[in-house]
Amino acid sequence: MRTSLRGARDAIFWTLCAGALLLVVAPALAIIGSLLQQAWPVLTLHLLTTTTAVDGLQNALLGTLVLCVGILVLAGPIGIAAGVYLAEFGPPARSSWLRLGSETLAGIPSIVVGYVAYLVLDEELHWGYSLLAGILALSAIVLPYIVKTTEVALRQVPTTLREGAAALGLPRHTTLRRVLLPPAIPGIASGLVVALAISVGETAPLLYTVGFSDNNPTPYLFQHPLGYLTYVVFLNATLPTRQEHQVAAAAGVMIVLILIVLIAAGRLIARRAARHAARMAN
Amino acid sequence: MIAGVNRFLVPRFPAVNERARTVEAVAAGVSAAGASALARTARAGTGVAVDGLRVRFGAREVVHGVTVGFHAHRVTALIGPTGCGKTTVLRALNRLHDGRPGVHISGSVRIGDEEVYDPRADVRDLRRRIGMLFQRPNPFPLSIRENIALAARIHGLWSRQDAAERTEAILREVGLWEAVRDRLGQAPFLLSGGQQQLLCLARALAVEPDVLLLDEPTSSLDPGTTARIEELISALRDKMTIIIVTHNLQQARRVADEVCLLLDGEVVEQAPADRFFQAPADERSRAYVDGRVG
Repeated sequence: MRTSLRGARDAIFWTLCAGALLLVVAPALAIIGSLLQQAWPVLTLHLLTTTTAVDGLQNALLGTLVLCVGILVLAGPIGIAAGVYLAEFGPPARSSWLRLGSETLAGIPSIVVGYVAYLVLDEELHWGYSLLAGILALSAIVLPYIVKTTEVALRQVPTTLREGAAALGLPRHTTLRRVLLPPAIPGIASGLVVALAISVGETAPLLYTVGFSDNNPTPYLFQHPLGYLTYVVFLNATLPTRQEHQVAAAAGVMIVLILIVLIAAGRLIARRAARHAARMAN
Repeated sequence: MIAGVNRFLVPRFPAVNERARTVEAVAAGVSAAGASALARTARAGTGVAVDGLRVRFGAREVVHGVTVGFHAHRVTALIGPTGCGKTTVLRALNRLHDGRPGVHISGSVRIGDEEVYDPRADVRDLRRRIGMLFQRPNPFPLSIRENIALAARIHGLWSRQDAAERTEAILREVGLWEAVRDRLGQAPFLLSGGQQQLLCLARALAVEPDVLLLDEPTSSLDPGTTARIEELISALRDKMTIIIVTHNLQQARRVADEVCLLLDGEVVEQAPADRFFQAPADERSRAYVDGRVG
């Protein structure tokens, strides 16, 4: 009697778990499915060889990738440096203020960041719609993630390594570079992956700061607007023809593909990190 | 310099004093080369003197005015039950508590004639001179070769040219060469725990310390490696001052020349090992040795 009751409870529990899993997986599959279904007729090489001036996505895809590179170049080093400072060098009082600032930044809605960036950079400084303004606005949004993951990754490095290095009289920068950073690299890299994923999916801050262009990206940082994938989704969905809707869906498919690549990279890195952690533990 | 060492060591360390006197006698009228050789001898005979050391973590004082001398060329075992402050004292010797929030240290620690807590002290050089081996092996996430050479190269003791040769010599000294000679470029994490600890010892020896601190160095190791490390401790005594924290009385008996018993953050007794184990002077030492406390 007791056993069967327990069996029934188990069954209910597992059914609920499976239901919850379905609730998470189903929307993702539904979104990808409907995107593919809608985009199917236009998913050809033509998308990659023509720009949005015709009916392709070349400029938007390249623009999104340029923004990603910009984030890696600008937000990457700054965020990692800030995380290193918080984990290794900052005196506790100052660090807690910096941490508060970083967490507040993470909480500001992206459209507000975009609007402020527009007022200050595009208008006040007369940069106009520009790549640099967009990179700065996106950086402000993703920096807190990079800072946090770097700090956490460094804090997870065993204290015994710090002590071992200190006991040998190694300078702090050598300790950081040779002893602490190598095991933290997978964690830091996964923070960068998250930052890139956010950048790929943001629209609001870019609307204000980089505008949009039907032409391929230029090497100019100022006064030149830039195309990017999320704008196509945003705009084409409001346009009248069926083909424009299909291109919007195709842009969505590309965003999802980039995200999948990023998530896969993140998984790969995390698995490496786990292997490394297992080695360090024995 | 010799006079300075002498003046400092005379009152506290009869054993060192004797050595310093021989040094002085020989030093009377020697060449410059001879003098530098003597300076080396004198440096190799560096004792450590702790005077009135207090360590406080926040409001809680865990070391209450410890005064103890660690003689050159001798192995001193710091023993006592868990929580008696022996590791805290050990870590105070190479300033490993520095920078940890809430830690307050007062009193004096002198290595040779140098005050460790002098604000003008070069902490990195002090730490080079005071090697340390930890409870659990902590090899760096670098290749085996780099683990050994990194600090020696940074302190300017090894050059790029002689690094390979000296790495081999050190690894032979600790008895690890045969096991790792074919994988010097690999990470050390696939070595056994005992081999990792020997690697850490080699790493500490590579920077030519005058003093070696051992914090329960064999507590996580197999009996074979424990025996190997104890042999090395005995052999290294000729080159440096050795201080070992252990809660294993048998180990203290096997390796120590001198024993210092700590209870509740205070020194109960410091004595030559034979005398300490055969006829402890303090009733509390007797109780501890007999296994009635701790």
